[in-house]
This record gives sequence, structure tokens and C-alpha cells, in this order.
Amino acid sequence: MSDEAWRQLSIRVVHLDLIRVAISLVTGYLGIVLGDDPIWPLVGGACAGLVGALTNLQRWRTTRYRITAQRVEMRSGWPGRRHRTVARDRIRSVSTSANPLPRLLGLATVHIGSGESESSFKLDGLDRRHATRLERELMPGSVLPAVADEVRDPETVIARLRRDWVPLNVVTVWSLFAVAGPLFGLYWLLRPFGVDLLGAARGLLEWNPVLVVAIALPLGVAVTTVTFLVENWNFQLVRKGTAPDTALVTRRGLLVTQTVQRSDERLRGIAFAEPLAWRWLRLTGTKVIATGLRAGGESTTSGVLPRIRLAEARDLAARILPDGSRPLEAALRRHPRGALIRRLGWAVYGPVLAAGALLLYGWSGAIPDWVWPLPLVLLPLTLPAAVVAYLSLGHAVTGDYLVVRGGVLNRRTVALQRRAVIGWTFEQSILQRWGGRMSVGVATAAGSRYYTVPDASVEQALGFAVEATPELARRFIAEPHGPGGGAGASHRG
Amino acid sequence: MAETSQFELRLPRHRLDRRFIAWRTVQALLWGIGVLGALGAVYWYAEAARPWIMPVVVVAVPIYVVNIVVMPTWRYLVHRWEATDDAVYALTGWLTKKWQIIPISRIQTIDTEIGLLQRWFGLATIAVTTASSEGKITIDGLDARIAGQTVERLREVTAAAEGDAT
Repeated sequence: MSDEAWRQLSIRVVHLDLIRVAISLVTGYLGIVLGDDPIWPLVGGACAGLVGALTNLQRWRTTRYRITAQRVEMRSGWPGRRHRTVARDRIRSVSTSANPLPRLLGLATVHIGSGESESSFKLDGLDRRHATRLERELMPGSVLPAVADEVRDPETVIARLRRDWVPLNVVTVWSLFAVAGPLFGLYWLLRPFGVDLLGAARGLLEWNPVLVVAIALPLGVAVTTVTFLVENWNFQLVRKGTAPDTALVTRRGLLVTQTVQRSDERLRGIAFAEPLAWRWLRLTGTKVIATGLRAGGESTTSGVLPRIRLAEARDLAARILPDGSRPLEAALRRHPRGALIRRLGWAVYGPVLAAGALLLYGWSGAIPDWVWPLPLVLLPLTLPAAVVAYLSLGHAVTGDYLVVRGGVLNRRTVALQRRAVIGWTFEQSILQRWGGRMSVGVATAAGSRYYTVPDASVEQALGFAVEATPELARRFIAEPHGPGGGAGASHRG
Repeated sequence: MAETSQFELRLPRHRLDRRFIAWRTVQALLWGIGVLGALGAVYWYAEAARPWIMPVVVVAVPIYVVNIVVMPTWRYLVHRWEATDDAVYALTGWLTKKWQIIPISRIQTIDTEIGLLQRWFGLATIAVTTASSEGKITIDGLDARIAGQTVERLREVTAAAEGDAT
């Protein structure tokens, strides 16, 4: 079966490239002829276009692909060579796309992958008929079931928009921008008519800056309130469907009703994001973590609830997760003191490094001498940020979930199902090695696809992996204290 | 600190090919010549830019010297890899060490890449990706023949292993 013939990209790629060469040559010619001096942007663009077209021709010449019963393969490249293989049962999504010019010529690109925006496998330059056939061949039954029968599905409402949520969501940094943005637009709009809004504003600021803010802020809040209400009118979070085939559905919007549906089958966890500015009110945003298939209007990570109080969010989170567990409330393990020292170190050496660079430039005469201590002004900001960052750190394994927490301006607590772990990364810098610490990365197909536990102790880091995926951990983590452990321990020196 | 840990990371089984050192040295050398040459050329011709170029050169020269002289050997001593029927496991890095593991059942694509320079040295790079782009493992500097055999075996094993719903 693997004798399947290697196929070549469509001959139309060559046509496309010849057209591109022609266009580049014409632009280049015009660039040289039109003015007295060559028009360099045109000439440069023409050269880039020419190189691009020739590279693409080379790609057409060297690329071969084949599809066998088990896998899809592609060979390409010259002088460097590349051979790429995907097992067919690992293919999660197949889609086609085309830029305007290739589309005119009937060319399309087939993306094969896991539903990531950046697909892992790309066949660029198939004719469209072939591309659609390939798409159908690789993903039989990818067509979603008709929408009509959804109406009859039983629904349970998890949350509806409550009036006391509104004030919690309307005071943001954006409320200031909400006024500043349109004003800026107005300024440019009125300028041709001789109205100097900026001059007027400057006059106003000199007059009384406090008053300006006092006027602008309520206005901004009013604007964000209206926006929030328009977006979230009739907000509803429901669970729909019967037992094995359930889905989480959000509906909202005044003018356009936006419906987002996430199948529970793809749900891998849940996350809270607590903004630093609102920590004193204990406000949090809530997101669900799901594996990605772009099809059918499902988004991979997105907010399911507006910003609400933590206690309420916790109750709702337990109802959002199909198994009703509460992993986000688990007691988290503190990271070792060394992690705090490292963060304080970063907080100091960032500004110090910047100051050092400026000192070098001052010494070489590029900038005035007195500039170099300026970055040190940042220290009163970075040092508290370091402490906040350290206090955010935490991790735990509870039931079917692993929980990680971190972040400065936004403290994120993520609960991810253990079965969603698709790989581990451990990193250790020299300083971490001396301090007996390690950073853990959890690779997953869901959500942001990579979650980190920075600066845990080695013990905590490896223990975390052992607890979360004992089966996999046995492959690479040795237990010196176990049977035959003496031999393992002696390897260390 | 001599904190006794209950667990420890096992070393992956195989070292890279010795030619890795030569390959990375040549590569670092070429980069060094390219970058420092460009900086030097600008320094030479554009007098106005000299105060801006000088500090960059002062910092870049020692970095490239270390990169050329120390880094390839150090990396060779650290880097290790293995590909079994259960998982691909690799240790990379020099100042910062990095251990990565991907179970076979989660592998999505398997690549071999042979750059121009690598071809001269008879070396190859294997890259194994999953649904998470950060979870990608790249093992470079393998003997091209061993890389070919490993990839061929991985292809068979991944095809045999049940793909799971990620």
C-alpha cells in the first residue's frame, strides 16, 4: 500500500509564478523608467516579488506528496531537504484556503492539522477540485449534524445575566480609552475645518486636569456600560443535550444574538483570571478550556462568564464542569523561597541591564551622559510586581485535574484534566540547578496549548508529573529510594 | 544545595553523533562572521553610526567567541535522546537544560530535515510534533542513517499505536 505514487503540486503553480515574474518585471521596469532617479520602493518590491516567485517555483519543482492508507507524507526543499509525515488517524482537521490571485487560477491550500491556526502540515498549490477531494478523503464524516434537531434538546440554565454583574464589568482601563478614542477621531475630523480641538484640550488641561478626568471618566463608564449591555443582553449559559452528547452553550447580544457552542466531549478544563486591580473585590473572569476544532463555530478558549465575584464564579464553575468537581478551589502548593529571590533578581537586573546599556551608549557618545540612571526609576514598580508574581505561583493535582496558578497583572488559575496532558517539558537554568528548582511545562491540545509551573522545587516539579500522569512519568523519572534505587542515586555525582 | 530529592530525571539513552560539535562550530562561525562582518562594515563606512555600533560590537564579540569556542562542545556533552516504543524523550540545552517527553500515542507529525551544512557533515534533524506547538521535540545532529532508521521505526510505531482523542 505504501507503493502509492508520489504526486506533484498542480502545474498551475508554475503559471501563477510566471504571472508573478511578469508583474515583478513590469513594476521593476516602471520603477526605473518613470522618474529621473529609480523609484527604490518599486524596484525593491519588484526584486522581492521576483525572488518570491522563483523560490515558489523551486518549491513546486521539489515538492512531492502522497497519501497512503495509513499516512500523509510530503517531501520538499532544496538545498535543505525535509520529509514530513502525519499518521492519518492523528488528523484532527482538514481545511482549504486560497489567496485572491491563486484563487483566480483555481489553486487552493490544504491545511492538515490539529485545528491550530498555524496548521502543522500545509499543501500549498493544489488545484481546487483536487483539494476538495482530498479534504473529503481525509475527513469522512466531518460534516456536522444538521442544526434543526438541536431545538428539541433539553436545556438546563446554568447562569443568566444578573443586574448586579453590570457595575462589576464597566469600570476598566478601556473606559478612559472609550472617550479618548472617539475624541481623537473627532480631532482629525475637525482639523480640516479649522477647529483646533487639541488646542482647546490643552487649554482645558491647563485649566484643571482633575476636572477633565472627572468629566471624562463617567462618560467613559457610560460608554462601556452601553457596550457591555449591548453585547451581553439576555446572556445565558446553558447545558444542552442528553447524557453522552451534551454541550455548553452561551447566547448573548441585543442587536445580534451570538451563540457559541462547546461540546462537552472536548472540554478539558476551566480557568479563572483575576485582574490585579480588582483583587480587593475578588473579581474573576471565567474561561473554559477545550480542544480545538475550528469547525462549527466552536472557539477553543474563551470566556463563558462576564467578570463576577469569585465565590459566585466558583459555584458556577462546578456546574460548568460536567463532572461537577471543584478543582479550582484546591489548596495549592507554595513554591520555594528561591522562586521569590529569582523574581526579585529579575526585577532588579532588568532595569540595571537597561541602565548598563545606556551607560555604554553614553560612554560611546551616542546619547547624553546623564541619561543612564533613568531605568532605575522603574525599581519601585518592578519590585512589588516580583512579590505579586511570587505570591501568585502555585500548583496541585486534585482528582482528575492538575491545577496551576501564576501571573502578575492577571492571576490565572488553570484546572486541566490529567488526560489532556500530551507531553512534558522540564527546564533548569544554571541558577535553578544550584537552587534545586525547575520549571515545568505541560503541553496539551486544549486552550492555550501550553501551561507552565515556573520555579517549583525539583521535588515538587517531578512529583507533579508523577501524580498527574504516573504511567508516563515512569518512563523518565527514576525513584532512587525505590527498589534498586541505590544504583540510580550513584549516577548523580 | 544538597537537597535530597525523592525523584530524579533519568538521562535519555543515546548521545548525538560526534560530528555535531564540528557542525555547530562551523554554523556558529558562519553566523559570527556574517553578523560581526555586517556590523564591522557599517562601522567602517558610516561614521555617523559609530557611537551606536560600538557598544553592540563590545557586547556581541564575547558572545560570539563563547558561542563558537564553548557552546558546541558543551551542548554535545549535555544533549541526549531516545525514541522507544512508548515515548520520545530528549535532553537539550547548555546553560539552561531542557528535558522533553512526548508519548508515542500523542505524536502528530514526524519530520526529518537535512540542511545544506548538515548534509556536508552527514547529519540530520528529527522533529516530532504534537497538537501543542510548544510540545515539539527537535533532535538535531544525528547521523543521517540513524535518523532515517529512527524515523522509519517511529512511523511504524505511531501507525500501530491507537491515536487518542486530543
